[in-house]
Amino acid sequence: MASDVDSAPLVGRAGTVATLRSALLDDVAPGHTAAVFLTGESGVGKTRLLSEVGEQVRQGGALVLTGACLDIGDASPLHPVRQALRRLDADLAEARTTSAVRGLLQVFDEETPGPDGAGALLERVAQGLHLVAGGRPLVLVLDDLQWVDRSTRQLLLYLLAGLGDLQLSVLAAIRAESLRGAHPLRRVLAELRRLRSVQVVDLLPLDRSGTDELAAAIVGAPLPPEAADQLWQRSGGNPFVVEELARDRRDGRDGLSDTLREVFLGRVDALPQPAHAVVQAVAAGVEPVEHWLLAQVVRLPEDELLDAVREAVAHRLLVGADDGYRLRHRLVAEILAGELLPAERAALHRRYAEALTAAPAELHQARLAHHWRQAGEPARALPAAMAAAREAERLHGYAEAHRHWSTALTLAAAPAVVPADGGRPAPVEVDRAELLSHAAEAAHHSGEHARALTLLAELSADPAGPPTCALHIRRARYLAAAGRSAPAEEEYRRVLSTADCTPHERCTAAARRAELLLHLGRYAEAGEQAREALDLAAGVPGCTSEVVLASSALGFSEAFLGDPADGLTVMRRALETAESSGRPEDVACAYLHLAELLTGPLNILEEGVVVARRGAERVAELGLGRTWETRLLAVATNGLFRVGQWAEAEKVVAAALRHRPSGADAVELLLARCRLSVGYGDVEASDRDLEAVATVLAGGGARHVLPMLILRAGLAMWQGRHDLARQAVQRGLTESRSDDVIVLATLAWHGLRAEAEAAASRTVEVDPNAVRRLREVVDRVTRKSAQAGAPVRYVADGFLALCDAELSRLDDGRGDPELWGRSATEWDRRHHPYPAAYSRLRQAEALLSRRSRMATAGKLLRQAHATAQALGAVPLSAEIRTLAGRARVTLDDAPAPAPRPRAAPAVPAVDELAVLTAREREVLAAVAEGLTNKEIGQRLFISERTIGVHVSHIFDKLQVRTRVQASAIFLRNRPE
Amino acid sequence: MTEPVWGPVHQDIVGLLADHPADVPAVVDHLTKLQDLLVRLPPLEASCPLADFNRLYLVITSTVLDGLYEDRFVDPAFLARLDVEFAARYFEALRFWTDSSPSTPRAWSCLFKRMRGPDARPLPSAAAGVNAHINYDLPFALVTTLESLESEPVDGSDQHRDYLEINKIFAERIPELRRGYLDHWQLMIDMVNGDIDDWYQGELVEYTRNVAWRNAQKIWHCRHDPDARECERTRLDDNAALLGRLLLSPLGAFLQ
Repeated sequence: MASDVDSAPLVGRAGTVATLRSALLDDVAPGHTAAVFLTGESGVGKTRLLSEVGEQVRQGGALVLTGACLDIGDASPLHPVRQALRRLDADLAEARTTSAVRGLLQVFDEETPGPDGAGALLERVAQGLHLVAGGRPLVLVLDDLQWVDRSTRQLLLYLLAGLGDLQLSVLAAIRAESLRGAHPLRRVLAELRRLRSVQVVDLLPLDRSGTDELAAAIVGAPLPPEAADQLWQRSGGNPFVVEELARDRRDGRDGLSDTLREVFLGRVDALPQPAHAVVQAVAAGVEPVEHWLLAQVVRLPEDELLDAVREAVAHRLLVGADDGYRLRHRLVAEILAGELLPAERAALHRRYAEALTAAPAELHQARLAHHWRQAGEPARALPAAMAAAREAERLHGYAEAHRHWSTALTLAAAPAVVPADGGRPAPVEVDRAELLSHAAEAAHHSGEHARALTLLAELSADPAGPPTCALHIRRARYLAAAGRSAPAEEEYRRVLSTADCTPHERCTAAARRAELLLHLGRYAEAGEQAREALDLAAGVPGCTSEVVLASSALGFSEAFLGDPADGLTVMRRALETAESSGRPEDVACAYLHLAELLTGPLNILEEGVVVARRGAERVAELGLGRTWETRLLAVATNGLFRVGQWAEAEKVVAAALRHRPSGADAVELLLARCRLSVGYGDVEASDRDLEAVATVLAGGGARHVLPMLILRAGLAMWQGRHDLARQAVQRGLTESRSDDVIVLATLAWHGLRAEAEAAASRTVEVDPNAVRRLREVVDRVTRKSAQAGAPVRYVADGFLALCDAELSRLDDGRGDPELWGRSATEWDRRHHPYPAAYSRLRQAEALLSRRSRMATAGKLLRQAHATAQALGAVPLSAEIRTLAGRARVTLDDAPAPAPRPRAAPAVPAVDELAVLTAREREVLAAVAEGLTNKEIGQRLFISERTIGVHVSHIFDKLQVRTRVQASAIFLRNRPE
Repeated sequence: MTEPVWGPVHQDIVGLLADHPADVPAVVDHLTKLQDLLVRLPPLEASCPLADFNRLYLVITSTVLDGLYEDRFVDPAFLARLDVEFAARYFEALRFWTDSSPSTPRAWSCLFKRMRGPDARPLPSAAAGVNAHINYDLPFALVTTLESLESEPVDGSDQHRDYLEINKIFAERIPELRRGYLDHWQLMIDMVNGDIDDWYQGELVEYTRNVAWRNAQKIWHCRHDPDARECERTRLDDNAALLGRLLLSPLGAFLQ
């Protein structure tokens, strides 16, 4: 097969190639992921750069997978990945890798639809890639990412978040023109570009000297100045244009072609007829066009075809590769698009469709549907579109399926253009109602809620459509999925008063309505409706799911109404019912709701954790490990964190992550693990989880952004980055709903703590505007939580106690010991040792700064320290120890755990500070920070006068006369 | 080498634009810094037409920020992200302009071209920026925001209500655009025909913002079809550019 003809050198990209190579391979730590997104206009050389960098990383020892996305919009899910694997399969010699690649390809072929299919498929693909990589770093190179399907996009984010447990780098090219307007990748890139592991590289045209260099390389000698100027003007430095114009000049066609369009049209015109036909045929096909397919479409004998292809390649219009032919460049396709008459184009599509009908190939149904449609044959495109939709559903690509079903609907409605043609099969009879039903369901699954509702409205107008009751239930389901709880609740209410409903449907509607009323905060009605659902279920067999759902609605509504015992009994009974007569999912659901009720509104943490863990074991036995076990373990982890069993929580979260969860489940666990890492003060692990969460969230969803911001603020504070903490809190405050009082209260506390600590440590100036706004938030939360349900109020009050105490610290610089004491009591009452220990630390600090009740302060510090040590809360322990050291409080415990190993500090040959006592050194350190005697006194809890005495001793011993001289000696002898 | 696009403040502006603000406080900060740079751009300095727009935009965005802090909106996550995405498009247009890229939206380039003179009156300049930003950028920003929130442009939704709340902010902040010059606007619009006719029926900002919402709904339906999407984009760009040029023509001075 013909390969590329003489290619021009890669000019002006050496720096970019080196940067990309190190970003994708050399700088990637083992087990980490990285990504580079290359954007640039058409012809700027993205594809060329991809292959250059791909080659380099291959030589560097990576396994490279190369694929391209397709612009037939409704292609098959995960197409670029499957294509990349097939290409690798064709290239490979190693038996081990070959069998891994084939195994993974088989995973796609054997996939069947099912619940959590999409997530499980991601996991299987990750495992397959792991085997394919065989210990080598894996680099996935994707061209034309602007046409990526949703499933591939999710797979990339999943793998980049590290959830696939795979060392992977992604290099993808995107046409800059496509990103204008409302391209879905815009937002994804905007989020990803903030991550340290991701780079978005904008590939610019060549500069003047690069243009000259490239032209000279092609022509074989530097261009005369006038020609070089002209080339620069016309090409604007676009390498593709430079190359083609320069080549024309070299071949003596100068003066004829001003624009790229003319260059290529001139070349097309110069082609002999068969080669011309080949180029036109490839332009109408879906690239790559296989050789056998091209042969059938152009209908040339083999020898002539090969000559024609060679000719087209020589004219730089076509390129050939192992898997088929492509036009040399996308720009060529655009230029050729206008050159065919509609009838000619339709004829080509018909030939493609006919050839493909006879011989199934890659993307079979999607391509068939595409070609028949373009050939003006809706009746023959229809069955292919339906088959393509089913194929997409098999791979859980509901977005693609929805588009295929929609196409099918359009095709079914299209007037049959049936010119006389003997061989034409009779049009397929399709049931429009069935198409509508499928299209609506696929739209619903892919999150196109409004579209799903429109299709449903059409379906209800169709006489062949389903009965009224079923339609109401479906509409309610779609509305609820769209987050429109109020109209959804209304719809269920209608079901309950519709005559044609079966008892089972009635029961479903009642249970779902109860759940929605709960979401809407109408607790009393929710309870009432739940009871009705339970009554209805009693007389109907097979309603276990409804019993579980209604019981949980009842349990939560009673808890919110302040009557927990009753609801708990009902939910325990629901679990028994599920165990005796339900499906595995019912059992799992019952466990989950019970655990959530206990650890959530009821705050019976220990029992909740036990239920969650027992449930996790049970559902694993039932074969629901990936989905439900993961969720139950997330509940257990969060419960264990709060009761202070961090080591146990760490084990549980690790066990849950072994299932390689995806989407919201994964985010939940990563946040839980990050919460632990922040508590431990493990900056690297926290950062990694926060990046992973941000990667997953770049694909969509907003629910988890606020917890992520809260953790970011918490981490920044331990790092002394109070400015970053402030930023995270401010963003959180501008993005949280006013009825979400717990989130607001948590944010307010973090914000106030950041300001108070900024003031105390002088890292950044206190922002009075920020403080004013935080006060307003505290007021608002206080107001709103008074109206909220008891469980919400209970949690919010704990944070409000912290807020009040932090405010006292901001007000007088010392803090009110009583407010801190109250906060400690509040958190003790809730059995949350971590915030309680923090409050005690601050209470002690406040007492010490007043130099009152020093003994109490010492006791508080010891107590706080014991808690922090037991938790493993390293930064909190460290802060307690620092304060104890300053106040000369003995914590009388075992020596603190060894800090992380660090490089030994460079010790000066002679320590000039050796003459000073430990206390004097402390005072000198503060002097060197620029503190006044008064401030030093406040910090070390001794009087200003005593500080003065220390300072004069220091001056004597060091034989200096000024604070500046003393500071200089301190600084040059400072360890580190 | 020719003179850089931003003259003496080129490096500062390039540096500023290299940063991508992620939240509304950062957007306000960005606009503030940009304002300081624009008024140093010779020869017009304080009367730079882009600075006229930027000043107005800064006021509006600061008011939105206050609203977010003060519980003014039902769905702040939506509004905050919309605001960030919206601003990102203004900054992106500036980046394209900085690179002399052919991708600079025409809707914006008619205003950018006037930065070095001749002087235009402040009101038409600000209005030209508002025009580009609302008629061209806003529908796309809406689609992108809703898509990333896994939501949809539904009339009467919380998000729609919040979106309309912004009209009130415009009304509070630019009464001169809204009322004082109504007659002039009407007269001017009457003088042109074609596409522009239906752009104006009452109050410019309110009306065009509703048009933007409807355009977003239109784009929403074809957002998976690259050709249709690009077609819609070109249409909006052309229309906004037409109106923008008109505002900056001698006719626009009429508004003052």
